[in-house]
Amino acid sequence: MWRWLSEAWAVAAKDLRTEFRTRVALSSLGLFALTTLIAVAYSVGPFRISVEDRPFLLAVLLWIVVFFAALAGLDRTFVKEEESHTAPLLRLSASPHVVWAGKLVFNLVLLALLLAVIVPLYCVLMGYRIELVGAFVVLLAAGGFTLAVVSTIVAAIIARAQGRGALFPVLALPLLLALLVFLIQGTTATAEGSVEAVDASLRAVVSLGGAMAVVSAMLFPLVWND
Amino acid sequence: MIGASPSAPACRRTGADAACYRLVVADGIRIVFSDVAKRFDERVIFRSVAGEAAPGEVLAVTGPNGSGKSTLLAILCGLLRPTKGSVRYLLAGGQELERAAWRQHLGVVAPAMSLYEELDAMENLRFFARVRGLEDAENHCRGCLERVGLDPDRRTLVAGFSTGMRQRLKIAQAMLHRPQVLFLDEPGSNLDPDGRAWLEGWVRAEQAAGTTVVLATNDAREMEWGTQRVALAF
Repeated sequence: MWRWLSEAWAVAAKDLRTEFRTRVALSSLGLFALTTLIAVAYSVGPFRISVEDRPFLLAVLLWIVVFFAALAGLDRTFVKEEESHTAPLLRLSASPHVVWAGKLVFNLVLLALLLAVIVPLYCVLMGYRIELVGAFVVLLAAGGFTLAVVSTIVAAIIARAQGRGALFPVLALPLLLALLVFLIQGTTATAEGSVEAVDASLRAVVSLGGAMAVVSAMLFPLVWND
Repeated sequence: MIGASPSAPACRRTGADAACYRLVVADGIRIVFSDVAKRFDERVIFRSVAGEAAPGEVLAVTGPNGSGKSTLLAILCGLLRPTKGSVRYLLAGGQELERAAWRQHLGVVAPAMSLYEELDAMENLRFFARVRGLEDAENHCRGCLERVGLDPDRRTLVAGFSTGMRQRLKIAQAMLHRPQVLFLDEPGSNLDPDGRAWLEGWVRAEQAAGTTVVLATNDAREMEWGTQRVALAF
């Protein structure tokens, strides 16, 4: 188990090192998120939504910004391996599950960075007040994990396809719609201070993330090898 | 069929010296392929190819450009599936190695396989050593780089390497885990005369050590290394 984790970390560390040197995925994610956030803040702002609608509408806008930023950058992890012809040697050197876990960790780190920058900025610019901060952070973590799991497996599927740029959001969105609904419900509840509603949403997000992770881990060797 | 877990009966990891990187299969691996055909959609690459490479032999795959030499090597090392026919890795007792276990025993040098351009030579080898679970990776990576004539302390990224230096690094990567099967696709391309001479010496040494070597080439001198030959027609 320790050896498996060490090999998976080697894949993630390699991806992080190359990413911090080229900043391709980081730039895509960051620039998309920042421009969308600024556009939303400028056009809607903190005062154009009535007080009773704020928890829900601001939750919707927050997750739309995060989801579309993620879709703009998280496919790079596999696409880059195929485009730069490094994928064959990786296939021959590492077991499929090690590659899957390493790529998932890489996407998790990128998403964590994105959420760490975008969410506080969004809350400040939009005046979004969260009553249950702890629950909100847990919801962000669970949502980020599920988003990374789905992005990783979809990125692996589309990496060897033609027209992969368009395929990623087309394939990922149907899988992510349920997650989006649960996260919006949960975020609304954290803003309103409704513990029961947060609990229900959190359970749904965690269940979805767990199920996606198991299915992805089982599916990945088939996608990666053939 | 047997797997290639270190606990499998025919496999063992050996001592603490350089040889510990070799996941040993007693008496080497024989590759047998028969009636292998490959087509991509309507394009037929080859219809029926057969051959065999035993431990200590060099199988030279020859043929004009576009005849499918690289495709055949990709099939033999498990990166592609043949449209028809079979490829088998056989151990001395006649047991067959399962496909998922092939990769642990392979070293591959091919023009279509690149290393990471955003990493330097040492970082590349360190990465491949770690995902292969090799011990004492640092010293072994340095040793491999020195053997192919690259400076392990040079921090230049691979993106800044000449084509010859890239080829040397690919060879270092292929020898890193002391594989028992080597697939070399035009291994001498882009190497200078000294590099070619070193390459020949290395292939001869691997052959003498019982490694199974499959070589795709159009170079007359490299063809002479072959003890067996498969000729593909366009």
